[in-house]
Amino acid sequence: MRGVRKSYRVGHIRQKLRPVLKGLDLTVPRGEVFGCLGPNGAGKTTTLKILVGLLRMDAGEARVLGRPLGDRAWRYRVGYLPENPYLYDYLTAREYLEYVGRLFGMSAEARKRRATELLERVGMSRAADVALRRASKGMLQRVGLAQALVNDPELVILDEPMSGLDPLGRHLIRRLILELKDAGKTVFFSTHILSDAETLCDRVALLRDGQVTAAGRLADILAIDVTHMEVLVSALSVEQVKTIAPELPARNLGERWRLEVPEASVGQVLDKVRSAQGRVLSVLPMRQSLEEFFVREMAPGQAEGAWEG
Amino acid sequence: MGGLKRVLAVAANTFRETIRERVLYNLVFFAVLMTLSGLLLNRLSIRQDEKIIKDLGLAAMDVFGTVIAIFIGVGLVSKEIERRSLFPLLAKPLGRDELLVGKAAGLAFTLLVNVAVMSAGLYLTLLLTGRVLDLGLLKAVYGIYLGLVLVLSLALLFSTVTSSAVASVCTVSVVVAGRYSDVIRNMDQVTKGVPSPVTEFLYWLLPNFRNLDFKNAVVYGLPVPFDVVALVTVYAAVYASVVLLLALVAFRRKDFQ
Repeated sequence: MRGVRKSYRVGHIRQKLRPVLKGLDLTVPRGEVFGCLGPNGAGKTTTLKILVGLLRMDAGEARVLGRPLGDRAWRYRVGYLPENPYLYDYLTAREYLEYVGRLFGMSAEARKRRATELLERVGMSRAADVALRRASKGMLQRVGLAQALVNDPELVILDEPMSGLDPLGRHLIRRLILELKDAGKTVFFSTHILSDAETLCDRVALLRDGQVTAAGRLADILAIDVTHMEVLVSALSVEQVKTIAPELPARNLGERWRLEVPEASVGQVLDKVRSAQGRVLSVLPMRQSLEEFFVREMAPGQAEGAWEG
Repeated sequence: MGGLKRVLAVAANTFRETIRERVLYNLVFFAVLMTLSGLLLNRLSIRQDEKIIKDLGLAAMDVFGTVIAIFIGVGLVSKEIERRSLFPLLAKPLGRDELLVGKAAGLAFTLLVNVAVMSAGLYLTLLLTGRVLDLGLLKAVYGIYLGLVLVLSLALLFSTVTSSAVASVCTVSVVVAGRYSDVIRNMDQVTKGVPSPVTEFLYWLLPNFRNLDFKNAVVYGLPVPFDVVALVTVYAAVYASVVLLLALVAFRRKDFQ
């Protein structure tokens, strides 16, 4: 996506334009899991909806799998799960998947086979023939994901796939995303839940106020500003720790201590630990958590309370 | 070819939806109505009760069909937009035009089944009460079905541009106005101050359901020439196509927020 702009009309009588995307630039590399992150109203869902053709952009350029948005050919190679999917509740999960298969031009036999296979994959085999009006939110999310995979897509676009799921459901979706990645598929998903992004994503993009404020490999983004090392030590008393690192942040973890040591002082601190008969358990570069990174990236007013999970 | 398959898939699913949503339950009411009318009217003279059975049957067919066409027609698109059930489907190779045409075709088929079963019920009532099976009634049934297709196309148009509640009101208004199009045309003769070009414009703009109404003619045994039937068929086809085309244009431009 290059320079994508989108505004919504708000109000009834005196309509105003509210810009949602303000020149969004985004590239999702093939074969990777890409997370689209941002607080509410950042433009994540709008971005995804433009890609799948539910919204028309006002300006800019977008291509999916190298094809322009208006080209129908890429739709055979893409799967999409909307946020909180509402599926036809008068159908069963199996019927819904078979209907979707029919839209892809699959034969009756292929549709049946694929539906059975996918229902098993998302753990819905036992509820395959229950009307969706009786399905729980978690079950709907599973069937929603299954319908996004009916055509064995190269690119899977998921809008808040973990939304409203219990731990088991979240585990299942995580596993499926990793399976897709192992199969060489590209997964582009939006999420509020930073721990999921941290676990799953090769790359992320942070959206704020309709623009990408940071994008890249997680390791690169989180390794920026590595100026401190985390030194884990044991067999030291409180007094010894205070002597070794009088001005350094130190946290007691039962029998161990976690010290945050500036990179330049690591050698000196390790020598002191050894001299005091302490044991060095590990020395690791301090990496920010994704949450720390985003909280820092947000303007103070926006960061607070904007995140979940 | 792929497009036609997708249209048929949507149409088949729409028909399945109407069956599962128990839309055709109205047929039970129709059956009860026909049975009661057959039993209760036995005391009247033969000619009279035959006309009443036919009149009642055709009118019930028209009313039930119109109510279904309006409310299911409106719900077919606006309900899906409000519930967002269209979202996963529109990301598939299914074009918006194909979806709308498929839905229209599916509901048209539901209405056809509805009308066919009601017609069978009407003939059964005539048969059981020892009346003549008048095939001329089918011309009136055909006119009713054409009218239902017009109603359906209007419901789809309104539902693509506004909410289901507003779309229902608009469709009902246009349908009622269309049933009194002659009154609208002659309004300038009754009410002073209404310029005749306005009433003339409304007359041509609104669907003219009176042209499609052969109920009285067939009940009273008046002739309904084939060329008239052909002419109203062309009228209904052109009118429904134009309305459906407008719906397609609106639906194609729609943003699904």
